[in-house]
Amino acid sequence: MRDIIKIYPNGVRANREVHFGIRSGEIHALVGENGAGKSTLMKILYGVERPSSGSIFLRGKSVHINSEHEAIALGIGMVFQNFMLVPSFTIAQNVVLGSEPMRGMLLDQRAAVKITNNLARQYGLVVDPTAIVDSVPVGMRQRVEILKALYRGADILILDEPTAVLTPQETRELFAAIRQLVNAGKTIIFISHKLREVMEISDRVSVMRDGQMVGTLHTSDATESRLAKMMVGREVFLQLDKPTKERGVAMLQVRHLEYVNEAGREVVRGVSFNTYSGEILGIAGVEGNGQTELVEVLTGLRKPVAGTVSLGDHSITGLSASAVRLSGVAHIPEDRLTNGVALNASIDENLIVDRYNKPPFSRAGFVSHGAVVKHGEKMIDQYAIRAPDGTLPVGSLSGGNMQKVVVARELSANPKLLIAAQPTRGVDIGATEFMHQQLLKQRNEGVAVLLVSADLAEVMSLSDRLAVMHNGRIVAIITDVRNVSEEEVGLFMLGVKQQTQAEIEANW
Amino acid sequence: MVDTPAITNSEARVHERMRIRKERVRGSLIDLVVTLGTIVIALVVGFIVTLAVGKQPIAAYTALLTGPLSQVNRLGNWLQDATTLILIGLSVSIAFQARQFNLGAEGSLLVGAMTAAVVALYVPLPPILGIIVPLLAAMAAGFLVALIPGWMKAYLNANEIVSTLMINAIIANLYQYLLINFLTPEGDNVRRSALLPATSAFPLLADIFNANLGRANLAIVVVLIVVIAVWILMRHTSFGYEIRMIGANEKFAQYGGINTKRVVMLAFAIGGAVAAIGGVHLAMGVHNRLILGISAGLGFEGIVVAMLARNNPLLVPITGLFYSYLRIGGDIMERTASVGAEIVQVIQAVIILLITAQFVIEYVRTRRNRRAAEAKL
Ligand SMILES: Nc1ncnc2c1ncn2[C@@H]1O[C@H](COP(=O)(O)OP(=O)(O)OP(=O)(O)O)[C@@H](O)[C@H]1O
Ligand SMILES: [Mg+2]
Repeated sequence: MRDIIKIYPNGVRANREVHFGIRSGEIHALVGENGAGKSTLMKILYGVERPSSGSIFLRGKSVHINSEHEAIALGIGMVFQNFMLVPSFTIAQNVVLGSEPMRGMLLDQRAAVKITNNLARQYGLVVDPTAIVDSVPVGMRQRVEILKALYRGADILILDEPTAVLTPQETRELFAAIRQLVNAGKTIIFISHKLREVMEISDRVSVMRDGQMVGTLHTSDATESRLAKMMVGREVFLQLDKPTKERGVAMLQVRHLEYVNEAGREVVRGVSFNTYSGEILGIAGVEGNGQTELVEVLTGLRKPVAGTVSLGDHSITGLSASAVRLSGVAHIPEDRLTNGVALNASIDENLIVDRYNKPPFSRAGFVSHGAVVKHGEKMIDQYAIRAPDGTLPVGSLSGGNMQKVVVARELSANPKLLIAAQPTRGVDIGATEFMHQQLLKQRNEGVAVLLVSADLAEVMSLSDRLAVMHNGRIVAIITDVRNVSEEEVGLFMLGVKQQTQAEIEANW
Repeated sequence: MVDTPAITNSEARVHERMRIRKERVRGSLIDLVVTLGTIVIALVVGFIVTLAVGKQPIAAYTALLTGPLSQVNRLGNWLQDATTLILIGLSVSIAFQARQFNLGAEGSLLVGAMTAAVVALYVPLPPILGIIVPLLAAMAAGFLVALIPGWMKAYLNANEIVSTLMINAIIANLYQYLLINFLTPEGDNVRRSALLPATSAFPLLADIFNANLGRANLAIVVVLIVVIAVWILMRHTSFGYEIRMIGANEKFAQYGGINTKRVVMLAFAIGGAVAAIGGVHLAMGVHNRLILGISAGLGFEGIVVAMLARNNPLLVPITGLFYSYLRIGGDIMERTASVGAEIVQVIQAVIILLITAQFVIEYVRTRRNRRAAEAKL
């Protein structure tokens, strides 16, 4: 790709004369801060965005890629971070979707299953072809996306932040699959904010900053800190400074909480714990073990079927999301597109949804435009949201920058209890560092923080106590997080080990 | 390896910001050109339709396009028609902004007309108050009546299209019943109320300018005030913010602590109050009494006006005037060029469709926004 320039209709220059080249058979990592233009560049290659100028050469020939179909015809496939699968279809149906094997007028189910099984075996991507997508874990859904691209004949496979949603185990499996793909002659482009992964898997790395290509180097010549410096333009400190802190009162008390989902499955089963002021309680667990639902019940987005939740001395069991918020709970939601932002509203408007009717934003029912804009500017600055100003709709921000808008709002809300679900998912290292500092700052100021994250390293380094969920239950509460290994937590997460009820209750 | 410096210093950022501002101004200019272009194309298509059906297509089309301006009294008709349309358009736009498809303007308008007339007829009032008191009473009545479908939607999740249409039907019958049985004076063989007292009639522009301006009246001043009030409400108050956030993403609004039920209910009710002013204008400005079929379906035409204005209160007067122009022009075309009323409606529909198509595209685009955003993460 040569001299690629992309200016979005709203004037944002996402790519500025970018040169980018990949060699066949390599694993090429693409890194850069949020909004650097990585996804844009890849969407141009995949034909879903058109460059404002520049040219693309494939195997020496100049090509014009005007649509997804043309990209697929050229052997380019892409897996977006939020999957585009049909949730109610089986895995096999999803894999063949778009060019289905037919028998008469109907989809040939058996052929679809066979195709899926063959592909899966060939590349070591284990899936259950007859399972409904909705019922399988994220890791498997991702493998389905990859299989789908392979089925359509992809030789070059673009993976946009594939590991952001994966657990360490799943990431390891994905990497094994990627290696197998490369052995089979495929070429991989891999986007990630986790430099450790980049160092582990890639042959070469390209670094983008502010829409420009800073450079490409062999991974063997790179170090994490060097890459970080190229991305951010300054040194980044990945070490956290965490002072000891006496915890305060039990701000959040959860007792025997039960939740049954729409499909009638018990996903939260008798969960009890406390979160104290001035502590960070981490919740670890393989995704899909009830953490998501637990958080949504606590924050009023779902209704529990049994059990109690109280905040301080007040019961907040079964209250609406608004009522929970008004009683002093801030919430960084996992499903940010549904709950966390209004895509068509501006950054400024998104940043005040919990405080538009309080001073200084509101006086006698009127919203002070000046205060709103000033607040927006402050947040954009502090959280390094990559946007020219706060009037831009949130929908036109890059993925990581949308997340920053949500985090900026919730961390600046002065809550009694902060519930953070996957706060740094998809966020670049500079901003992750800043968010970690802010989470600790909240704790140091006496806020009760409940942190749910699929990133085990993150929960383990931030938490004062760690609760592990498995199969809808809390199977362990670890008080001495410093002296427990990732492996041991992993055993709890997989349900291999379990504390006794008495041990858990002692640590509520 | 080349290491190119990236923009980080603030001077460059300010520069970037200015560039983007310019880009946006250019963007809105393009928008404007596209809109004007669409109108031109729509008019051409309308002409082709006229060609296909008319005996004297050119004369007929000229009547449609220049009719409202050709005589002073037609100008008056236009202003008077637009006054009601703008009020209804504003009413509809409020609920639309919260993504509520409120079709209750027709009913609210009738309630407003009835309340204003009854107060004017039975409460002796001095000048000025003779206008203000019935106006406020009508607004209160419109507010209360529209509260019903609002409450049903917010708290019972009843479909607002069904509930507002049903309430419209009830009100229409009630209006007729009250008018025929209680308000038609003894001995009058036309079913209509007595004339309202002079103190409760909006002064006519015809009297002020001494020209034959038909029934156009000083209610246009009220319209100006209402336009600005709705604009302030929607853009500068917390209530307006709440409505807009609910319209942008209701789940987000809830999550953020907005009492979405209350806001949705009030959005209906405030819309009802505004539509009631349209009824006041008809009763106290245009007819000076209540007549059967006083609304003449205007309640529904307001939807088009709001859509054309993309629910922007400041654009509603413009689109209201535009749409009303087409209506009056169509009337004149029908009368002078002997083109059937149906054909006039077809031409109007074509024009409106073409213009709305532009907005439909935009609507689809925002729906796709979410998918695009998901892909971007
Ligand atoms: N559809 C769009 N309309 C307008 N601007 C956009 C659009 N998509 C992206 N942008 C802008 O282009 C820039 C680059 O975005 P891009 O999504 O390529 O970033 P990224 O490097 O993938 O970041 P992230 O790590 O956060 O995913 C950002 O400033 C973003 O605001
Ligand atoms: Mg991206």
